[in-house]
Amino acid sequence: MLENLGKKLILHLQLGPVRISFDLVTILVAVGVTGFLAWGAWWLRRGLPRDPEAPLSRRAAFLISVLELAETQLLGGFPKRLARDLLPLILTLFLYVLFCNWVSVLPIPYIVSPTQDLNVTFSLALLVYTLAHYYGARERGLVAHLRSYLEPYPFLLPMNLIGDFGRTLSHAFRLFGNVLGGAILTTIVAVKFAPLVVPAGLNLWFGLFVGAIQALVFALLASAYIHIAVE
Amino acid sequence: MNISGDQLVEAVKYLAAGLCMGLGAIGPAIGEGIAAAHALDGMARQPEMEASLLRTMIIGQAITESTGIYSLVVAIILLFVA
Repeated sequence: MLENLGKKLILHLQLGPVRISFDLVTILVAVGVTGFLAWGAWWLRRGLPRDPEAPLSRRAAFLISVLELAETQLLGGFPKRLARDLLPLILTLFLYVLFCNWVSVLPIPYIVSPTQDLNVTFSLALLVYTLAHYYGARERGLVAHLRSYLEPYPFLLPMNLIGDFGRTLSHAFRLFGNVLGGAILTTIVAVKFAPLVVPAGLNLWFGLFVGAIQALVFALLASAYIHIAVE
Repeated sequence: MNISGDQLVEAVKYLAAGLCMGLGAIGPAIGEGIAAAHALDGMARQPEMEASLLRTMIIGQAITESTGIYSLVVAIILLFVA
């Protein structure tokens, strides 16, 4: 088991000089999580009345309280209009990362969190990076947004660029390192020290608790980066 | 007993990974402890601020953790990739 830790089921495609590799397990689990979230959204949305004046059903009250909680907790510093704009993005990021982390506690052989693949976390971090620039340019104007790189002094431009780069890098590596570190620790303890009850507890700790904290941190940092860009 | 170059590289890899993780864990641990201590201070002084303090503390700790995560990634690369 331990010697299989770094090995993966990979599909290679050769397109001329370009070689593309697909990690099949990660892709399947990620698609499964996406499908589950889409199904959950459809299920929650299905019974809602079209008329906004209708009396609240239990499902509608649940949705409203969850959305208001997310708006105050994840997007606290934003103006109301922008918070409404960003809420779907940040909440989707949070739920996607949360269920990608939680999926590893399912008792299915070979299932792994998609977030322990650097490609997944890096694409999410690049998405946040791109959107931060988009919202910055949209809210402040392109010139003002680009000029913010010359603040507080023009000769600090390289510092600002490196800071931008390192921020995105650490955004991706934080999630990746936490999830992969937990998975490796659980596997090593299960194989080398205590194969019975301890790995289950470790898996629950790293899967559920650390997974939830890291999903919250990922979403909060995404909202903070966009907030820095639009200020 | 002769030690070949490959064995030496293998041994140094494990040594380096252990040193990297062990030394790299010190800084973030101290930093996160300081952050938690001061957040507790604030919560004891103003219990009504607890939710906001907890959130800010978690963000701060997550950023503090970056360097520890970097050393973890380097250790993983040393063990499994290099």
